[in-house]
Amino acid sequence: MSPSPRPELVADGYSAGRPRWVQLATSADHKEIGQVLLTGALGFLFIALVELVLMRIQLLVPENTFLSPVAFNRMLSLYGASAIFFFALPLVFGLFYYVAPLQIGARGTALPRLGQVGLALWVAGATVLYATFLFTPSEAGVNPLAPLNEVAFLSNNGVDAWATATGLATLGFVLLSVNLVATLRTMRAPGMAWRRVPLFAWATAVGSWLMVVVGSVLLAALTMLMIDRHYDGIFFADGSGGAPLLWQHLSWIFYTGAYMLILIFAFGAIAEIAATFSRKPLFNRNVVMACLAAIAVIGTLAWMQNMLTAPIGIGWMYFAMLMSLALIVPFGLVLFNLIATLAGGTLRMRAPLLFAIGAIFAIGIGLASELCHSLVAAAWHLKNTTDSTAATHFALIGGAVFGGFAALHYWFPKMTGRTMGETLAKISFWTILAGLLLGFVPLFFAGAEQGQVVDAYKYFAGSGVTAYNVIASIGVFVLFAGVLLTILNAVFSRANGPAAGHDPWAGDTLEWFTLSPPEPHNFDVLPDVRSPRPLRDIRIAIGNRTRRSEQAAARESQPVA
Amino acid sequence: MASHSPGTDQIDTLLWIGTVAAAILIVALVGALLFVVRRYRGERGAEPRQLRSGRRLQFRVAGVLTIFAALLFVLGVVFTEKAREQPSTGDAGLASLKGEPLKIKATGQQWLWRYDYPNGAFSYYKLVVPEDTAIELEVVSTDVVHTWNVEELARKADAVPGKTNEVLFIADEPGVYDGDSATLSGQAYAAMRTEVDVVSPKEYEEFVEKQGEEIDAAEERVVGLIENGETP
Repeated sequence: MSPSPRPELVADGYSAGRPRWVQLATSADHKEIGQVLLTGALGFLFIALVELVLMRIQLLVPENTFLSPVAFNRMLSLYGASAIFFFALPLVFGLFYYVAPLQIGARGTALPRLGQVGLALWVAGATVLYATFLFTPSEAGVNPLAPLNEVAFLSNNGVDAWATATGLATLGFVLLSVNLVATLRTMRAPGMAWRRVPLFAWATAVGSWLMVVVGSVLLAALTMLMIDRHYDGIFFADGSGGAPLLWQHLSWIFYTGAYMLILIFAFGAIAEIAATFSRKPLFNRNVVMACLAAIAVIGTLAWMQNMLTAPIGIGWMYFAMLMSLALIVPFGLVLFNLIATLAGGTLRMRAPLLFAIGAIFAIGIGLASELCHSLVAAAWHLKNTTDSTAATHFALIGGAVFGGFAALHYWFPKMTGRTMGETLAKISFWTILAGLLLGFVPLFFAGAEQGQVVDAYKYFAGSGVTAYNVIASIGVFVLFAGVLLTILNAVFSRANGPAAGHDPWAGDTLEWFTLSPPEPHNFDVLPDVRSPRPLRDIRIAIGNRTRRSEQAAARESQPVA
Repeated sequence: MASHSPGTDQIDTLLWIGTVAAAILIVALVGALLFVVRRYRGERGAEPRQLRSGRRLQFRVAGVLTIFAALLFVLGVVFTEKAREQPSTGDAGLASLKGEPLKIKATGQQWLWRYDYPNGAFSYYKLVVPEDTAIELEVVSTDVVHTWNVEELARKADAVPGKTNEVLFIADEPGVYDGDSATLSGQAYAAMRTEVDVVSPKEYEEFVEKQGEEIDAAEERVVGLIENGETP
């Protein structure tokens, strides 16, 4: 055995040929975790829409028997959990997690393993929710109100599985949020003061703080529910010191906070897209940043807007109304400044901007309709009618589907190095818009005029809502087709889209400074950050230098005398 | 849907106010959006003015929005208070109450509504009330959360176990008013309906008396059967 002829550099234990799925399953890298969340979210969007379509088939004609009452309630419960915990929130956190560290010029995250555990918990939650098909899914609805969620009324394992699934997912989101808060606090690039942080990264900070607070509240409520169900607890049981209304308070704090979180995410993404595609800075940046923080706080404090028909004091109802109406100011200012950013710009109507404008439109209609639900006496009529279904869906489809797809089209080139197909994106956009309007505008009328109630597995022929429901069902089918087009577009473009380069949109923030897709360490070098638009500063500096050298060359080439 | 109670009149008015306010916001937003998109669609490469802020404009917009929200809040409180007002029994109403509201208990249970009248009689599904008479409905539940919902006559009210939710209303003309439940309460939730029959005070008194006698007779029969060792 002869000694090695000369010393070698060896990266010990490093194997380049790991299968992709092993890499994804074991990675703590924020980009890979973000991509898994995002892919999962799109998958669950598909599943949630299948469930919605099944419910809408049941509601196509009066007193239909397509689904049994129990099957309908199961679809409803699965749809609610899938849409919120396994589509909207993971989409939001997937994008937060992928993009925000890049935007602040971080080479990783502060607590990478925490995020990895968060992803694993979310996957476990999703598995538990859909493993219920092996036994019995929950029948208790989107927000299973106590005491229907107690073992005395639903003794099978459905509610347990629901609580476990949503609890695991929520714990995952909280852990991801903790990491994001720490990353944004400690790992910003030199020169990136808070006032220079990109708007989407700011939305990430606000949204993560919000999730840490409201996620913890839901985890407490779910724990109490499990103690009630399995260890003779009395938290939500009436009579022995418990209070069914306590569940409503705790759960609505979470759901209201999550609603706000989805909108904050959407506004953050729209702000980036509006600025980039109009080639202008965001109008009144500081005001928009302050408004997003205000929305998180005031919006969550409006949770009792969901309880205006419950036996709570009238003073609390006025408090909820005050908070809801106070939201007009920050929401109004954000929307005003987003539109003012577009005004005076040179708009490039590419897919991200198209979806962003759709998001502003849908969120605006949803929030304006919610306004009626915050006026106490009006809510006494509108509460739990399909009018509230429509308002919520406008706001959340606006935020999570339009806003989410806008963000997806915008950052897809960064994640994959390829842009999504533009024609398909436009067809998808118009289909989704038509589906949203057809699918939910009739529900405004069915609810406000005829008082059709939510969550019911059937309606009756003489109640004047048949035509509305037929149109709504057709609309949801159209919506489903439109969403499917974008999912297919993403799948095909991942491998076959046109190559994008590192900065396809001429963006101003740091994520466009690195490669597409970025290296595991994100950045080799970072520019000095001197403004909220570091890449624009670089472009201007290069332009100036080019101009100077051209002028110098011109001077030198002039003949003497 | 037609309103048949002063309380629901106020609810309808507030609903209109809210709808108009929402419509104003939606029209302003969609108008601005369409204008901006059509006006500023630009070619690639052209560099627009880099406007960053308009501080005074911002204060003005915030001011207008604040006034808008404050106005809605005031209107919301005013009409909610009006809708909450205790109605008083009119001339055509039940005279024996001497100004007191008629107290009826509405109990939600999976999947039926039960109504208990002051004389001890009760009815399921159908609530019978005299016209032009102030009714105080105490909405309670024996199992899960239900929502009592007869929207032509009164506000929605949740029946929460352990709590009492008071609903005040007065029906202005006789008739049959359909109602249902508005909170998911389990399998037969959609079929958990109710009906309010508004009748003249005389018919109401006859109804509760007859109902009470029949219930007593039925109880006596059952007690008699049990005492004789038979199964009822």
